[in-house]
Amino acid sequence: MNLANLFRPPPMDPMLKIVSGVAIFRDCNRAELEALKLHLHQRHFLAGEIVFDEGEEGEGMYVVIRGKLRANRKGLLAKKLLGVIQPGESFGEMALLGAGPRMATVVAEEDTTVLAMFRPELQALAQARPRLGYKIAMGVALVLESRLRKVAEGDSSQPSAT
Amino acid sequence: MKTSSPPDRSLEHPIIWVAVIGGALGSILLLKAVAWLAFPLILAVVLYYLVQPLLQKLQLAGVTPGQALGIFLGAATVLTVIFSILVLPKMLGFLADFQNQIPTYWERLQSVLRDNLLALEDRFAFAKKARLADGMEEQLNVFLAGSGKEYVADVALFLLHWLPSLLLVPFLTFFFLRDGTAFHRLVLRAVPNAFFEKTLLLFDRMDAQMRAYFRGMFGLTMLDTVSLGLGLWFLGKGPGIFGFWDAMFLGLICAIFAWVPYIGSGIGGILAVATVAVKAPQSSGLMLAVVFLFLGVRLLDEFIYTPMTVGRALRMHPLITVMMIFSGGMLGGVYGLLLAMPLLGIFTVLGQMFAEIWFDPRLRARYQARGMLEKRLASKDLGI
Repeated sequence: MNLANLFRPPPMDPMLKIVSGVAIFRDCNRAELEALKLHLHQRHFLAGEIVFDEGEEGEGMYVVIRGKLRANRKGLLAKKLLGVIQPGESFGEMALLGAGPRMATVVAEEDTTVLAMFRPELQALAQARPRLGYKIAMGVALVLESRLRKVAEGDSSQPSAT
Repeated sequence: MKTSSPPDRSLEHPIIWVAVIGGALGSILLLKAVAWLAFPLILAVVLYYLVQPLLQKLQLAGVTPGQALGIFLGAATVLTVIFSILVLPKMLGFLADFQNQIPTYWERLQSVLRDNLLALEDRFAFAKKARLADGMEEQLNVFLAGSGKEYVADVALFLLHWLPSLLLVPFLTFFFLRDGTAFHRLVLRAVPNAFFEKTLLLFDRMDAQMRAYFRGMFGLTMLDTVSLGLGLWFLGKGPGIFGFWDAMFLGLICAIFAWVPYIGSGIGGILAVATVAVKAPQSSGLMLAVVFLFLGVRLLDEFIYTPMTVGRALRMHPLITVMMIFSGGMLGGVYGLLLAMPLLGIFTVLGQMFAEIWFDPRLRARYQARGMLEKRLASKDLGI
């Protein structure tokens, strides 16, 4: 038995490992991620299933754990593909800030597992742990800032701008 | 992060209305059947909503959720011990005195009633013909000799039956506070993907409404207690009827009665007038003053306290309220009277939730599409 192992923290939950790599949660430490875990809902979508519709009232954001999704937007004649969302990426973050309509429809391209985080729960979490709430709010702000910057620079193919 | 105010949606489908009222009345019956467990469960939910803001304040001060719960439990234990050592013996002494005084109070109450009925008989011929005073005395004697004894035995049995179940309240509250979030997640797991986001939002709305209702009711009870208590103390201190804490205690009992809309305030008022009657049988002016005090507090309740605390979010039409209270009383006795309105409030929100989710054609289409995808997946290699 290696005594040094006693002082090592147990390995991180693989899902939390993915979450820790998402831009919004990058500043969160392990204890904060563990607290966050209580507010994440795991959902499974079949290939072809819609996660949310464009124009629908948004309530939260999603982190892709496994699988692939595509984001579409209604065009004049046909649907416009905004992009493909891969594991480790997030989408729908704008809904964490307010209950506006979704900017795109997101459909699972293959069987997909996501973690969902919702605004009311984030608000409760931010009240209980203001430091964590601040980090997440800043994370969302930075992601949106980088997207706005890219749009301003002419690169509008942002799958997560939902 | 912007907080969105919930849209004001009415229940458009009559069938939902019927289901809401049926659900509320049905659950009164169910709760009556499992009252021994339901009563502490409801008290624990109320306590959970009252304690939660304290824990949140502790967490905002930099304490983890587990530590906050520990601090609260420690403080509650210390307060319980202090209460048991300092206040409980005095309360028991007071109750023993009160028990000894009951026959005297009962005689005085009878004599006040008799005097007033005799005065009525002197003034009105029909009252004299009906022999109101003698009739009342006979009725009371029959009641005391017969069912009155049974009622006393019933009340004693009721208390013996309920006291152990009340021990469950702190136990249940502790687990609600500790594992509430995990339980919430477990329930949400059962919701299909298509309805998930909306259900979560509506759950949150229901939670906020219940929190506001229970905290509001607590605030309202405190305001009513202080108003009635101070009023009774002020009125009763001259003739030496009430000490400060007696008046506050009576105010609290009347404020608890007022939980039953419309009817409860009346019962509370009668109780206070009866108390004055037995303590000072000759002062009819004081009884009248107590009636005016109750009317005054009722007006304060209606126009200032209720909008300040509970608000008017759960306000129903008075006709529905009264019908629900009477139906609840008929079906569930005292529990029915007390629970009719909160249950109607909960079922109204549930009805709204269901209507918003189920009658959204797009969400239903998505739900059906998921079913078809599952079916296709299951029959992929069957060649059909």
